[in-house]
Formats: sequence, C-alpha cells, structure tokens
Amino acid sequence: MANTTTVSELRQAGFLPKNQGGTRLLRISDLFRISYREVMRKRRRYIGVVAAIALGTAGFITIVTMGRDLKANFNNDLDLLGGATIIAAHFDPPMNDRQEWFRSDTIAALRQVPGVRDLTVTRLRAGVTTTFQDKTYGFNLLGVDSNYWRLFSFTARLGRLFTEEDVSEGLKVCVLGEDLAKTIFTTPENSLGQILNMDNNLYRVVGIVGGVRAADKTLWAFLPISTAKDRIANISEVSDVYVRCKTWDDVAPVAEVLPGLIKSHQIDRGLRVQVAWEPLKQVQRMFWWVSLFIYASISATLVLGGFGIWNIMMAAVTSRTREIGLKKAMGGEDSDILLQFLFESLCVTFTSSLLGVLLGRVGVEYMSRMLGSSPPEGLFFLCLMAGLGFAVVLGIGAGLYPSIRASRMQVVDAMRYE
Amino acid sequence: MNKNTDVVIDISHLTKEYASGTERIKVLKDINLQVRRGEMVAVMGPSGSGKSTLLFILGVFQPPSSGSFTVAGVDVISLPRQAQAVFRREKMGFVFQSCDLLENSTVYENLELPLIYTGVKRRERQGKIMEALQRVNLEHRVRQPSNRLSGGERQRVAIARALVNEPEFILADEPTGQLDRENSERVMDYFVKITDEARVAMVVVTHDAATAERCSRKCLLADGRLDPY
Repeated sequence: MANTTTVSELRQAGFLPKNQGGTRLLRISDLFRISYREVMRKRRRYIGVVAAIALGTAGFITIVTMGRDLKANFNNDLDLLGGATIIAAHFDPPMNDRQEWFRSDTIAALRQVPGVRDLTVTRLRAGVTTTFQDKTYGFNLLGVDSNYWRLFSFTARLGRLFTEEDVSEGLKVCVLGEDLAKTIFTTPENSLGQILNMDNNLYRVVGIVGGVRAADKTLWAFLPISTAKDRIANISEVSDVYVRCKTWDDVAPVAEVLPGLIKSHQIDRGLRVQVAWEPLKQVQRMFWWVSLFIYASISATLVLGGFGIWNIMMAAVTSRTREIGLKKAMGGEDSDILLQFLFESLCVTFTSSLLGVLLGRVGVEYMSRMLGSSPPEGLFFLCLMAGLGFAVVLGIGAGLYPSIRASRMQVVDAMRYE
Repeated sequence: MNKNTDVVIDISHLTKEYASGTERIKVLKDINLQVRRGEMVAVMGPSGSGKSTLLFILGVFQPPSSGSFTVAGVDVISLPRQAQAVFRREKMGFVFQSCDLLENSTVYENLELPLIYTGVKRRERQGKIMEALQRVNLEHRVRQPSNRLSGGERQRVAIARALVNEPEFILADEPTGQLDRENSERVMDYFVKITDEARVAMVVVTHDAATAERCSRKCLLADGRLDPY
C-alpha cells in the first residue's frame, strides 16, 4: 500500500472512495459558473476595462465593416481637390494616319471593369461662334452626358445641369461656363432662359456650371451629347473617355486593365491613358496616416484594457490569497485555481467584447444610414468573430500570469497571509 | 473492535526543522500520535509551540523533515501533489480559527465548493449540503450570504463544510478561538456529536482548556514534544 501513488490506484485499493461520477466537463462548467458569479459580484471594479475593451471592439468593428464605404465617401470628398481617382483616356491625333475614336462597344466594356464607379464620354468642337445683340463670340463646345457632372463633381451654380432626359431626347438646351455667360449676357443671372444660336440652331440656356473644379471650364459651353452629335457640324466622334474609380485603391488596377481592354475591342493607335498619380499618392498617404491613427487608437484602447485586466487580476490574486489557500485546503487542485482565475479574466474580456459587438452594430447601422449604404453582413460577421476571438486571446494573455501565480501559491503561505 | 484497523492517523517519530540563517530550528521533535475513529484528540500548547506546524503536516500542506505519517496505512507524504489534493478533499475536513468562509457567497455556495472539487453530480449536491447543514442546525440559513451570519453561525457553516464530503478525519485549528463561551460550547457539542455519530477522527488544536476538556484525549505540545496531558 505504501507504494501506491496514483489516484486511480488509491481508489482501487479502497483508500479513496469510488469516483463520484462527475466528469471533467462538469467540473470545468462549475468552475466557469463560479468565475462568472465572482465577476458579476465584483462588476464595479471591472467597469473601466469593460468600457475600454467594448469601445475598442466597437471601433474596430465599425471601422473595418464600413471601411470601404467610408473610403468611398472620403474619396468623393477629397477627390474634389485633385481628381485623384479619375482616369482619362483619349487618342492622340496621328501624324500620317487615321484618327481613332472610341467605339460604343469599347465604352460598354469599359463600364463593366471592376472598380469603375462612373464613366462619361465627350465630343469636342473647338471654335464655335454665336451672335448675340449684334456681337459675335467664339468658344469651345463639349457634348456631354448626364454622368459628366457627377464624375467631375460639377454642380449648378445657377439653374440646372443636364438630366438623362435632356440627353436621351436630344433636347436643345445648353449649359454655360460662368465667364462665358458674363461675356455674352453681362451677368450669369441674365443668361438663364436666353436663347443662344449655334450652327443655325437655337438653344435655351438652362444653367451655369459651378463647383470646385469649374474654374477651368468657365469659358466653355455644353450641350447634351446626343444633341451635339445631331446638330453641331464637324463635332468630333467620342474623343475622350473619363472613368471614375470607386476608391483610390482601384485606380492602379483599373489603369492597368484599360489599355488591354481597349485594344481587344479596337485599334489602339495613339491611345493615351492618364492618371493623376501624384494627387493619388498624396490622398493615399493622407488616408494611410488617418487610418494608422485610428487603428493605433483602437489598439491602444484594447491593449490598455488588457493591462487593466492584468492589473486587476494581479490585485485580486493578492487580496484573495486566503481564499486561494482555503480552496486548496478544501482539495482544490492547482489546475482548478488556474482555471477559475483564467475564466474570470475571460468572462471580463468576453462580456466586454459582446458589448463591443452590440455597440459596433449600432455604429455600423448609424454609419450606413449616414453614408446611404448597406452594411456588408459577411464582413460584419467576420469582424464579430475576430472581435470575440481577440477577446479570448486578450483574456488568456492578461489573465494567464496572475492565474499561474494563484495556482502555484503554497497553502501554508496562503493560510498564514494576513 | 480491532483497535489497529480503527487507527486513522498514525504519526511516528515525526520531526520538523526550519532553517534560520545558518541555524536549524527544530519545531517538532519525535512526535508520535495515533488517532482512532470516533476519537477527538486535543493538542494543546502555548503560542509558538508548533501546533500550527503539526496541523499543516497533518493537512499534507507541508512535509515533515523526518518520520512517517500514514492515514489508514497509506504514506500520504509520499503521494504526488495531485493525489494529495484528492486525499485532502475526499478524506479530510478542515475547520479554521478565523471561520474562513468564501465572502460574497451564500452558505449553499460555500458547501458546494468541496463537492465540486470532489466531482459530485449537481442533482446530488443539494441533498448532501442539506444533510451537512442539518447536523449543525443551520438548514434554514442555506441561502443566506455568509457575511450576514453571526460568528457562531459562521463556525457552524465551516463545520458543515468540513463534513459535507463525509471525511474520515477532521482537523480543527482553534475552532472556538473567536467565539464567546456559549457559542464555543455549542460548537464543541457538535464536534462531540459528529465524532460519536459519524465515527470521525478529529484533531483539535487549541489553547483553550475548556475546549480541550470536551475532547476524548488531550496532548500537550511543548518544546517540540507531544505528551499526553
């Protein structure tokens, strides 16, 4: 009997009573219940770290889930400054060959390129003349579709810009640049509703173009592209195509695809694809710094939350030294003590993370409404899982050392602790 | 009755030394003690005589420097750490001087913990807890938070907790040390009842003569030696 060592051998020898039937799983679930109860009873001490982790998780979920929509929105606003996501394509006039124009099937194919948000085409006629009150004025004319305004972020300074109806029905309406309106009609306000004669056709002025990027179009006149094609003599075929990408991340891939795609539909002689690489880099750099700042803040919040838990758990191990001794005296094994403290840490981080997920959902819904987009559910679910996974890692990371310390405590030292 | 098979605790030539700088202090010297079922042995002695050290060795919390300590013939000192923990929860019960209960927990939760460690199924726990509480007449306090109990009640809960796993022997460290005379008497009544009814062996460490008087046998620990008193 004296050589008997293992628990099962001691049971077989009759020294220890029969196993009571409880499984390891039951024991773990009981320890988890005790830990949860302990955390709930002392919840006040965890408020700070719970708030930190919940806010960090909510921020993470909101930013990652809505990242693409946010970027698109930023993209739209920042793009006003430099057109960083606009790609221009045109054919240079050849020296001794036939001028190429964009064909309609090429344009249709370009619209289908992934990452393309908007596409517009223009027809150009330089040196158009008009006569008003016995004076003759010369200017350049662009035939444009209704996408043109949105793509370049033009707005109506006065009146209105072309609608799809104007374009589809080929109405005889025109929009003027501000300086051209002033030149012909003295003030932009006077120009609205006036009739302008171009190539023996009369066009009613319906609006004055405005917006941040309108400065280089102040001496231009615009007609619906269908009207221009039918009524303006010597107007070019589709000479220019402008593509606006969804975000700046799409610019490089779209710019890379464009030449090959055009070549697959028509001759690409003299094709030039222009991207505003420098403004694009600046915008990307700025957003990178903003992203870095946001993610660093979220990480700092979560790490501080983790340190907070570590600190609280260390203090708890010290203040509950007698309790640990008592539990060991009652037969608690080192692993029981370790699991209890580890579960307490996990309870805090998991509860915080669940709260963060709820807050994150609220944030996602709010931002979706603000940006007018629908939240990508798959991405949200992925973030949710990542948030909960991180909570487990944080709980174990922050709680492991204090738990090990608690489990290794000697009963004699713990029971004598005052 | 065969007296040898009735022996629960058997200590033989047990010593305990501590190092203090270059010096070695012998706290316990050649201790011999046998405790049988249904027997309650009082270990008396002045402060610093080594009573708590002896109790910690009996609780398998620390090993002796030499000698043997067997329980029902098993050398518990040489058991691995995990087996010692199992031994503690299935064979022993503890009652401490400071009425150590888990704070912020109810009486039920205090008694449930040893059952959890032992692996008792949930549906069997309530019966065992109520049975243990009935022995100390506290079944009506089962849902009471431990911090709302009086000193006497807390000590009775501690006794019930020591009994809940039906141990073979109980170690009590100054069980009446913080109680008034009336409550001390009542606690000792329960101890006597338990040793008689449940045939539990009990070692009570005390310096209170009145408490020792209630035990079936008394020993005095002085200068590291344990002698009948």
